[in-house]
Amino acid sequence: MGSISFVSKIRRQTDYNTFSPSIPIVIDNGASYFRIGWAGETEPRLIFRNIVQRPRHKATGETVTIVGDLDPALMKYFDCTRSGPRSPFDSNVVYQFEMMEYILDFAFDRLGADGSVIDHPILITECACNPVQSRSKMAELLFETYGVPAVAFGVDAAFSYKYNQLHGICKKDGIVVCPGFTTMHTIPFVDGEPVYKGSCRTNIGGYHVTDYLKQLLSLKYPFHSSRFTWEKAEDLKLEHCYIAPDYAIEVRKFQEGTKEAEEKTRYWQLPWIPPPIEVPPSEEEIARKAAIREKQGQRLREMAEAKRSSRINEMENELQSLHFLVKQLDQVEEDEIPSFLSDTGYASRQELESTVSKVTQSLRKARGEPKNEPAESEENTDSFNNDKYPLIIVPDDMLTSEQLKEKKKQIFLKTTTEGRLRARQKRNEEELEKERRNQLEEERQRENPEFYLEEMRAQYKEVLERVEQKKRVKTNGTSTNGNNKSGGVGRGERLSAAQRERMRLLTTAAFDRGKGEDTFGSRDEDWQLYKRMSKDHDEDDEQPDSDEAELARLSSKLQEIDPTFVQKAEGESIQPSGEAPRVRPLTEEDYKIVIGIERFRCPEIMFHPNLIGIDQVGLDEMGGASIKRLPHSDSELEERLTSSILMTGGCSLVPGMKERLESGIRMLRPCGSLIHVIQAVDPVLDAWRGASAFAANLNFLGNAFTKMDYYEKGEDWLRRYQIRYNNL
Amino acid sequence: MEAELVEADIVVPMQLRFKKIQSYEKYPKGQTRGRWKHLKQILQAENFQDYPPEEPNYINIESPPSNQPCKRICDITGYEAPYVDPRTNLRYANADVFKTVRSLSTEQVHQYLSIRNAAVVLK
Repeated sequence: MGSISFVSKIRRQTDYNTFSPSIPIVIDNGASYFRIGWAGETEPRLIFRNIVQRPRHKATGETVTIVGDLDPALMKYFDCTRSGPRSPFDSNVVYQFEMMEYILDFAFDRLGADGSVIDHPILITECACNPVQSRSKMAELLFETYGVPAVAFGVDAAFSYKYNQLHGICKKDGIVVCPGFTTMHTIPFVDGEPVYKGSCRTNIGGYHVTDYLKQLLSLKYPFHSSRFTWEKAEDLKLEHCYIAPDYAIEVRKFQEGTKEAEEKTRYWQLPWIPPPIEVPPSEEEIARKAAIREKQGQRLREMAEAKRSSRINEMENELQSLHFLVKQLDQVEEDEIPSFLSDTGYASRQELESTVSKVTQSLRKARGEPKNEPAESEENTDSFNNDKYPLIIVPDDMLTSEQLKEKKKQIFLKTTTEGRLRARQKRNEEELEKERRNQLEEERQRENPEFYLEEMRAQYKEVLERVEQKKRVKTNGTSTNGNNKSGGVGRGERLSAAQRERMRLLTTAAFDRGKGEDTFGSRDEDWQLYKRMSKDHDEDDEQPDSDEAELARLSSKLQEIDPTFVQKAEGESIQPSGEAPRVRPLTEEDYKIVIGIERFRCPEIMFHPNLIGIDQVGLDEMGGASIKRLPHSDSELEERLTSSILMTGGCSLVPGMKERLESGIRMLRPCGSLIHVIQAVDPVLDAWRGASAFAANLNFLGNAFTKMDYYEKGEDWLRRYQIRYNNL
Repeated sequence: MEAELVEADIVVPMQLRFKKIQSYEKYPKGQTRGRWKHLKQILQAENFQDYPPEEPNYINIESPPSNQPCKRICDITGYEAPYVDPRTNLRYANADVFKTVRSLSTEQVHQYLSIRNAAVVLK
């Protein structure tokens, strides 16, 4: 991992056998990192992430166990599809002892153990007030599986405080503030012993900060969300996050876009490869392409011409032979005609003649000559009408019944013709009107193109909104967002307005029966009910939607004049602004991740857990809450406690933590109180070092218990079990 | 196993001399392993209510709710948020952010809400 402050050490140790069985092994079993080493030494021998992966080895098919971080370069040998990294922890409590066992296996193996048992006492850390179930499972595992002679449990934050007390950093009365990986603790110390009664735990830690950062960035850049892995977010957090002295003031700087905010903004440029630039084709290129196209067109035209002429030729030949046949037929004697015709395949003279005329017709058509039918005259004048319908103007009484019938027919014909004419006229007028409107619009466009474009856009948006609204109402009566794409109505799903109405009708119809007199059908409207009930009934579809037509017109117009215009796809909602829009080519800018407010917004959850929905006090208030929880109110003791506040744990390394903690606690304490916040020598390793010093003490075994103790003294004893830190 | 893997020495050996019982014996392959109790179940089994309240335990050392007024920040930008969108329930800082809020998909709204544990899951 490319982190700054946490380094894994997993080099195999070879000096295990040089340590006598009386020297304890010290383990700091943290939720993020596992540290193991020898009592009395200042550095742990091994440090690795407290996670297990059990992928399948591709070559052999075996499931293998890998503890700690895995070099990504070696991932190719494993199939990790079914196993992600797993932790033995739930919050800060060990619950998965199978994973814990793999981790201990790895740790002891790397420490160089090769005897038949682990013949050393073990001091292992646990969380404050660890549930007895977890504590006893851990003891059982160490005794039964590894044959450990004695075990002691202690709290990491307490060891860290004791270690710093040993170095004169903090006093025997004080408070340890420990923001860790999954939880934050404050534990008061009185006379050098932790008072768990006064301790406080908020279930927020570095894990939550990283997760918050990861989620915020993924939501801000949905386009790149796959880039924000947990490990990457952790790196970004370690590199960039800081705690604002005052969140509100700091955020206002960013909101107003001050220079300071600009300087505080960090960027992460993702690898970006510019797309190949399209060079506009040169003049020659265009000319060349046009020439090729022209040549191809010429060839096609020639081919078509050749085909046509061959067809004409064929038909001419056929016509000639037919003419010849007719001539022959003329010469043949009357009684020999049938036999002559049967030889040629024609039944009669008429058929032959009709064939001749047919071929002549098609030949004409092929040659492109006009048909010899008279073109229908379009002009219908009154005089012509009078010629065509002579009986109309003649009064009825002057006509015979035959003529009357004829007159009726003529009247009918006349009215229909006139109707057609009128319709045609109307169409013409409409077209003219449209033309006029288009001209008007073009004029306006010429006068002020920008304004016109704006207007068009506004219109388009308005109509679009209207159409969508209508659609929403249709599909889902009162839906807040038109995302209900499922047409079917399942259990629990909401019905659309139309569907609801139909259901209502059906139920009323069903329950109406038998109630009083049945008068259904006495009125004509009653029968309308069935029409309304029928499933396909949809009033909107009966008339074409004028809005939709308008929308189509506007969008086509906009497409003509606006190069940036993109027609919105059917049913697709507007893309979030964070996503790189698809219409324009992506630029380097789109691949730049801006980390501004996130830098201090994420760690802020340690002081305001309610930002991520956890209703508990933040780190500063925890100090006050701890003091309040102490059994006896003693202002002198309180003063001593606040003058020795030690920060330890990985998250106390976030820049700005000390200042913020101090000002936060100052707000809670009486005016003029002495408040002194100190950072531990090494917030990450001090817990292990304190434990190592504790285990090196001669009195250590008095604080540990053996397998015999474990089985004889019972669970209740184990629950109350607590080491005496003053032995350090 | 590939030379590179042997070299890297990352795999935990199956057989370890210092163990009285090996992992593969304890957790045989293919058998459903006993499910481990999660923290919630562990805490239930502890029966903390049977013990005197002045005795510290995992549950009663938990922090109390805050006395300070709840800080409301814009879900999207992190600015201070005086407004709440009644449609999505997202908090927002100003009109510009409001436009963004309204352009979010339901999925994104849900994610934003679930970050602060405010997403309502309709069943």
